[in-house]
Amino acid sequence: MAAPYPRQRSNTWYLANWPYRLFMLRELSAVFLALYTVLLLLLVTKVHAGPAAFAGYVHTLQSPLLIAVHVVVMAFALLHSVTWFQAVPKGLPIRRGEEPVPPQLVIGANYVLLLAVTVIVVVIVRV
Amino acid sequence: MTNIPTAEQTVTLEIARYRPGVDQRPTLQRYDVPYREEWVVLDALNYLKDRVDGSLSYRWSCRMGICGSCGMMVNGTAKLTCAAFLRDYLPGPIRIEPLSNFPVERDLVIVLDDFMEKLTAIKPWIIRDAEQPIEQGEYRQTPAQLADFKQYSMCINCMLCYAACPVYQHEEQFLGPAVLALAQRYNHDSRDQGNADRYELIWSDEGIWDCTFVGECSTVCPKHVDPAGAIQQAKVESTIGWFRSFIAPFGRR
Repeated sequence: MAAPYPRQRSNTWYLANWPYRLFMLRELSAVFLALYTVLLLLLVTKVHAGPAAFAGYVHTLQSPLLIAVHVVVMAFALLHSVTWFQAVPKGLPIRRGEEPVPPQLVIGANYVLLLAVTVIVVVIVRV
Repeated sequence: MTNIPTAEQTVTLEIARYRPGVDQRPTLQRYDVPYREEWVVLDALNYLKDRVDGSLSYRWSCRMGICGSCGMMVNGTAKLTCAAFLRDYLPGPIRIEPLSNFPVERDLVIVLDDFMEKLTAIKPWIIRDAEQPIEQGEYRQTPAQLADFKQYSMCINCMLCYAACPVYQHEEQFLGPAVLALAQRYNHDSRDQGNADRYELIWSDEGIWDCTFVGECSTVCPKHVDPAGAIQQAKVESTIGWFRSFIAPFGRR
């Protein structure tokens, strides 16, 4: 019998449609978050080195290039958070008896939690 | 079907044709079919096979979203062609191709051996340590216990999720969305005691941990099985099982 046509692989599959593109951006967001962690760790070492080093670093951060980097990182951090919260009810579905708790409620609870933690952090920083 | 009048609206289909042993690769062939508001893509294919080109090959059976055999790529998206209305793809042309990520047997017919082997590998049936004696009656289940797996039992093995899964496209050994959702269907069944027989395969790299959670399997699923959710839940269970193996190395999974 003649052979079937073999299964095909595409190296550009992620360009095929928007869900795939969004998936790749979501995965890529980890790289930008890692980059931001490096900036943050540098900040900690500068704090340790003293007020002059800290002031110098803050000045460096105000360069247009690094501000642009922060804007891009912020966009990816938001994408990361939104997609992560969207995923929560998929991985941890909650049921009350036979009825599933609406996913939107689970996602909403995560945003409320994020807001609460943010408020606590802001309060601690201010005090 | 009534007689088709000649002068009327038509819609163009571009259908992938592949004759094994003759064609090097699939080619698109254009056909015009009469447009009917109530026609689905499968109706158009049946019209073509009956009246225009009897050599056109494709699978179908129930034409009502139960048998799971008429899955194809419609304009690049995995669809049951019995549920893809022509009216949703106007003005056309509508591109009909065999399901992605599978070898093509002929025209729109795919080779599904790989799926069938993986399906049996996870033992999709109720496994008991020992059958309960008949006198004790049936295995009873509360509505809440039923709700724990009912969604996964809706799978019709149509393989649309495999066609939508880029992981399966690149990692042929990946068990895939439907098989892993069916594994959950049996593992979560209160009557089943078979997780000990299944977990090694399900919790392996070819199983759930190959999944990167693209999520398109759940989007294309015509029965709302949500394989992506099933796999993420199995990942949570697998992680708990991994920790438990330290606390109780000889305990039951």
